[in-house]
Amino acid sequence: MENLKLEVTKYTPEIILDVEGTISLVGKSYPENTFEFYAPMMEWIAEYFETSAKEKTVVNMEIIYFNSSSSKLFFDFFDLLEENSSENKIEINWIYDEENESAEEAGEDFIEDFEDLNIKLVVK
Amino acid sequence: MEHHESKLILEIEALQENFNLITSKFIKDARRQDKIMARSDKRQRKEYDELMALKIEIEETQREVVFTMGSIGESRSKETGNHVKRVAEYTYLLAKYVGLPEKECEMLKQASPMHDIGKVAIPDAVLNKPGRFNEEERAIMDTHAQLGYDMLKYSNRSLLKMAATVAYEHHEKYNGTGYPNQTAGEDIHIYGRITALADVFDALGSERVYKEAWDDERIFKMFKEERGEHFDPKLIDIFFENLDEFLAIRDSMQDH
Repeated sequence: MENLKLEVTKYTPEIILDVEGTISLVGKSYPENTFEFYAPMMEWIAEYFETSAKEKTVVNMEIIYFNSSSSKLFFDFFDLLEENSSENKIEINWIYDEENESAEEAGEDFIEDFEDLNIKLVVK
Repeated sequence: MEHHESKLILEIEALQENFNLITSKFIKDARRQDKIMARSDKRQRKEYDELMALKIEIEETQREVVFTMGSIGESRSKETGNHVKRVAEYTYLLAKYVGLPEKECEMLKQASPMHDIGKVAIPDAVLNKPGRFNEEERAIMDTHAQLGYDMLKYSNRSLLKMAATVAYEHHEKYNGTGYPNQTAGEDIHIYGRITALADVFDALGSERVYKEAWDDERIFKMFKEERGEHFDPKLIDIFFENLDEFLAIRDSMQDH
């Protein structure tokens, strides 16, 4: 299985999916077609847990700004992680700037919704 | 019989369990959707507030820049006291009665005080000369229209673009004998024609080192003579039709 990297654009985050066990999303997220844009990432992650998962997987998310369909996508993303959380050790860092109230609230929502996931709020 | 019944019950119970699973997933999804919507609405409201605050900030900055530039122009000219403020008010009135949209009238009121901004580039020796200019000095003074235009013309800001037009054309005359381009009639932008009248009206009625203030009779006589010559006849008509309002502005904003 190969690493997958998507470069940052004006509307989409940088995405680094590393088979060594790190998943990283950094930037803004308001793609024109959110589910299409994130499809390769979702497929990669599903395959990763099926075939190549390391003992521990670290997810770093630093999303500065996101639209509502991205918010929906992130719920699906956490669903996928949660499905795999019983058999894998997954550590999730939701990273945000102190002044970014929207990002903080979103992180709190995810923690509330995904009791089985280990999501940490990390203030930059 | 009993066996059949229990099998049926088992099947229904299995269905029930499935149904419960599916409905709780739907409920969970619906809750998420509500949450996403609520968050999104909140965020949009916040963004809208920020956008409006920025818009106000931009407008105020623009106003301040323009006003400061107007004051600089004024400090470099022999016009004193409330000259540019009165000109601003006169141009607003003329713009309103000539039928420009309210927003444009408001903009012209802000832009017209910059009409003499080009004077910042006129040498002190000429600018500060007491008394009348000789021909050469007059020629230098007259470059202030072009200079003002050159200073402002590169701006993409609508207000500064308007100010550039005003600076450029406020000394053009309706009959084509003004400067710097001897533009005539409707070819002179309405902003230029309006500011020309407002500027002259105020200058004539004010005292200068080299002249007394003209009395109203003399100003009105001159305006009538210059209708269609120096000034746009339409604007002169507007001026006389609404004379009370112009005089009220003059009275309320006298020099001290």
